[in-house]
Amino acid sequence: MKKIKSILIANRGEIAIRISESAKKMGIKTFGIKTSKEPSAYYLQFMDEIIDFTEITNDIPEFLDIDRIIYSIKEFNINAVHPGYGYLAENPYFAQKCIDEKIIFIGPSPDSIYKLGNKTIAKQLAKSHKVPLLEGSEGNLRDTKHAKQLAKKIGYPVILKAASGGGGRGMRIVEKEEDIEKMLRIAQNEAEKVFADRSMFMEKYVRNPRHIEFQILADHYGNIIHLGERECSIQRKHQKLIEESPSIALNDELRAKMGESAINIAKASKYRNAGTVEFLLDELGDFYFMEMNTRIQVEHPVTEMVTGLDLVEWQIRIAQEEKLDIKQEDVKLTGWAIECRINAEDVQSGFTPYLGTIEKINFAKGKNNRFDTGVTEGSNVTGSFDSMLAKLICYGDTREKAINNSLLALNKLQIQGIKTTIPFCKAVLNHPKFKKGDISTSFILKDMKQLYYQEQDEEMIAAFWAALNHNVELDIEDETYVDYEKGKEMTPWLINKRLKSL
Amino acid sequence: MIFSKSKKSKQKFIACTENNKKYEFNKPKELFIKQGKENLPVEIITDKQGFVFIIWKKKKYLVDIIDKNQNQYEILVNGVSYYISVESPFSYKRRKYLNKNKKESKVEQIHAPMPGKIIEFLVEENQIIKEGEPLLILEAMKMQNEITSTIQGKINKINFHPDDTVMKDDILIEVEK
Amino acid sequence: MDINGKIYKNFLNRIDRFKIQNSPEKIKKQHSKGKLHARERIDLLFDKDSFEELDAFVTSATPDTGLGKIDEAFGDGVVIGHGRINGRLVYIFSQDFNVMGGSLGAVHAKKIMKVQDLALKVGAPIIGLIDSGGARIQEGVASLSGYTSIFHRNVQSSGVIPQISVILGPAAGGAVYSPALTDFVFMAKKTSYMFITGPNVVKEVLNEEVSFEELGGAEIHARKSGVANFIYEDEENALLGVKKLLSFFPSNNLENPPYIDSGTKSDEVIEKLRTLVPDDPYKPYDVKKVIELIIDQNTFFEVSELFAPNIVTGFARLNGKAIGIVANQPKVLAGVIDINSALKASRFVRFCDSFNIPLLTLEDVPGFLPGLDQEHRGIIKHGAKLLFAYSEATVPKITVILRKAYGGAFCVMNSKNIGGDYNFAWPTAEIAVMGPEGAVSILHKKELHNADDPNKLKKEYTSKYRQEIANPYIADEKGYIDEVIDPADTRKKLITAFESLENKHVEQPARKHGNIPL
Repeated sequence: MKKIKSILIANRGEIAIRISESAKKMGIKTFGIKTSKEPSAYYLQFMDEIIDFTEITNDIPEFLDIDRIIYSIKEFNINAVHPGYGYLAENPYFAQKCIDEKIIFIGPSPDSIYKLGNKTIAKQLAKSHKVPLLEGSEGNLRDTKHAKQLAKKIGYPVILKAASGGGGRGMRIVEKEEDIEKMLRIAQNEAEKVFADRSMFMEKYVRNPRHIEFQILADHYGNIIHLGERECSIQRKHQKLIEESPSIALNDELRAKMGESAINIAKASKYRNAGTVEFLLDELGDFYFMEMNTRIQVEHPVTEMVTGLDLVEWQIRIAQEEKLDIKQEDVKLTGWAIECRINAEDVQSGFTPYLGTIEKINFAKGKNNRFDTGVTEGSNVTGSFDSMLAKLICYGDTREKAINNSLLALNKLQIQGIKTTIPFCKAVLNHPKFKKGDISTSFILKDMKQLYYQEQDEEMIAAFWAALNHNVELDIEDETYVDYEKGKEMTPWLINKRLKSL
Repeated sequence: MIFSKSKKSKQKFIACTENNKKYEFNKPKELFIKQGKENLPVEIITDKQGFVFIIWKKKKYLVDIIDKNQNQYEILVNGVSYYISVESPFSYKRRKYLNKNKKESKVEQIHAPMPGKIIEFLVEENQIIKEGEPLLILEAMKMQNEITSTIQGKINKINFHPDDTVMKDDILIEVEK
Repeated sequence: MDINGKIYKNFLNRIDRFKIQNSPEKIKKQHSKGKLHARERIDLLFDKDSFEELDAFVTSATPDTGLGKIDEAFGDGVVIGHGRINGRLVYIFSQDFNVMGGSLGAVHAKKIMKVQDLALKVGAPIIGLIDSGGARIQEGVASLSGYTSIFHRNVQSSGVIPQISVILGPAAGGAVYSPALTDFVFMAKKTSYMFITGPNVVKEVLNEEVSFEELGGAEIHARKSGVANFIYEDEENALLGVKKLLSFFPSNNLENPPYIDSGTKSDEVIEKLRTLVPDDPYKPYDVKKVIELIIDQNTFFEVSELFAPNIVTGFARLNGKAIGIVANQPKVLAGVIDINSALKASRFVRFCDSFNIPLLTLEDVPGFLPGLDQEHRGIIKHGAKLLFAYSEATVPKITVILRKAYGGAFCVMNSKNIGGDYNFAWPTAEIAVMGPEGAVSILHKKELHNADDPNKLKKEYTSKYRQEIANPYIADEKGYIDEVIDPADTRKKLITAFESLENKHVEQPARKHGNIPL
């Protein structure tokens, strides 16, 4: 066993804070990276030591600058690196570089990352292990002509995806043949920007599916378990907005079946550490393997709440080659947990990013809720980073109670200075179909008439507040005393000189 | 007389919403909102952190002025934004008159919804487009956003080039109806 | 006098006829166009019961001379007089669209000249409320002569008393030049227009279809032409704006600006100023946030906000005293100086200098905007205007360099050598002949050419240049700036500095006037 004494957290925001908490609990020293884009960021307050990356400006974003990160780890004699999610979390080159430099990379092996990260290889892996798959291009698209032929064979709608993509980037749904050329170009350009890889593949697009994913834990000794599912069907443009665990769509039998498939994928890639296997589940209970994410997920807290496990702690323990001592039969999902993502977005203008400064923030901590935030009063929301500010995770014995607790907590969550997705989250949780559990990935598009929650008299209150403030302002202007006489008081020196010069 | 010379007695305010819905308030400083014939009191509280709440009919609303320009306010109530224009009785009449006489503008401007970089234009000048058709790709927050047309028409003018950086509300494309 | 006698009756009769002319129906007619009546506008502007009208009964009624008869109309389409705004004497003329369309004939013009002359004689500001159909065609050359005399008086008064024009209806043809000659132009959206030739002529001559709004509406003049300095949604707010603007001005060029106690502390350390400007020279920020923190709370009144937003100009109060602020806006075009921003700032600087309003310059400028378009349109001479304006200004002038100050733009933005009284810099300042990238390419041309990885080497040189050359300390040690200050102390420093300059006077060489490169 390799004991980890110190960790470099190569990430920012709420996940950097989240990682630091588990590390602290385990007595591990944490190092954070200070960047020029947010030199006074909130997460830095949680680090034992700060490495300053602001001195040298570089084209490569700090959290992607492999050479510099490796150099710093060696310079400060740090044992391990946790990449969080995004950035270097799924970069096999970085993971390999860590091994070469004798640094513990908290995550899977470079080989697993590579295989599962390349969706084409991942699908071949799934296919050979009898995990159900959607029809698709079985490899990258050669050109537009190939794409057109294939789409005709599979039948529209089809979905185009970046071979090294994720998180909704480089992804486009094509409804009809006229659109395919344009959509392919857009998706390729986006993929090139984000992943530096233009290759795309295509698959059948399933309407109204649910997004169900399984959390996996695997150690160095071949022990693999799953920690149940998360349902992330509430998404907009493939960005998850509300997640829950467990899913109302699964019974024990289906859970066991899907869990087994998830474990099979992990086994096939000799996986270790925490990972997530994503499936689409259709209305008939058939499920299809989508992809496996070889990192800690944004939505991991809902699993933690229903299993009582600390996933980041387990990531670290597995990385230091501890044995996974939990058996599958020991894993019990108790109660229900829901996560609302609080993004700096203007829901009323189509979820456009909202930039500004968080003037004030207030949330009620309770027994049944958890607030993972990367921001505090005075934090700036800039265009340099993604728009997620925080996650509100609430627990209840039943789904209904979890929903109610979430609504209570959302009402007590106050943010001033910027627009957020709070009214959106309220609208979803108040929606009768959501309450029934009747959801799919097209819930937002199809079932929501209004994307934000409104109280009955809200508009009038807004009107009143505007009128009152205007009234006060006009009165202040009216009462202002302008002292014109003071402008006439001048020293003899000045008045004489001024007169003479005219 | 509509106007008295001292503004202090001018205490009637008409707050108009984006959809031209109007709310009238007489002397808002006296902190009452009328419902039907009844004047119901408004309570304003500021908590320790400085959040401001309005309490009306036993309900609590979090309020915040997020933007203001002259008499135009953008107010957040419980996180939902409302555009309110505060009018005097005369300026309200004027607004109604101008709205009534507003000729349908021939040209619709497509504004940048957020600051960002233009990646690509998907249309050309003089091209006929449908409503909802994607016009360009704007990159912001590392996401490529498709900007779509709000109307059907002909592309009149494209104001930027790929790789240009644009500010929020910049006019990107003008579409002729 | 016998109050039942004929003499008094005649007097009352005349007043009755006057009342009919200004009856509620007439006011209603104006309202139905979304506009206020000429007299209502005056009432809104002036303190209660302070307005004294002049020449209310003059008329130019004439029999038909072939061009059409002119009916009796008291006042001849314009209301003139004086009154008090916030207690101070102000002259006004307000055109009445209800009387002959507010058209300008000889009598109408004479009335305007009368208040212009009075205002200049007593050294009081003058406001023109414009709502006129233009020259009175029936009067022929008499109305042209009227316009010209008004223009001449505008020019005579320029720089002696503040002149403000408020466009509240049409202003077409020659009529636009009087507002153009005044110091500031206000417009009300959708009901006011200014153009030399109207849409009909444009259609005839050029066969181009344009609307009033597109040709000369408030938005166009605020954003594109820069003719309008302030635009408002409605007339009431526009008139409130006029009042607010006036509160920054003295009555004439001998006085100092008035004072408003704004109750903001003068010795405050404002820590937030330390974090507003990003170290990264490419990162934009909003300079208005810097302004708001330095000045007395909520006192910034921006001039020409929508025109050339890459430079910010406006009035504010610092410890109660009026100042003019010119600031590069890194948020727009990185704050670069182009033709429009140079024009906007130079006119603003000259106004402040005319009326003894001290100038604060906040500098963060990467340079002049390069390119064919700008060079061909003459950025050389337009940029020179800004240089001229700053250089000739004798009011107290203080500069704070917030971040970038490169090359010619550094010289222009009120540098020490063109007469800056105090030039401060924040630690984030970068002062040099040119930006690091450009300088490095020249200084290390050979090394970069021979390097294996020129980009990496360039970055190293750039970073070195930024640290060693482009810092404020070299300029400080050589005396090109006065002090490198802690941003948090800026307000305190500026208040003391402006106070020490209150008695400033610069002897000027005797001359008629300088020759600004127009």
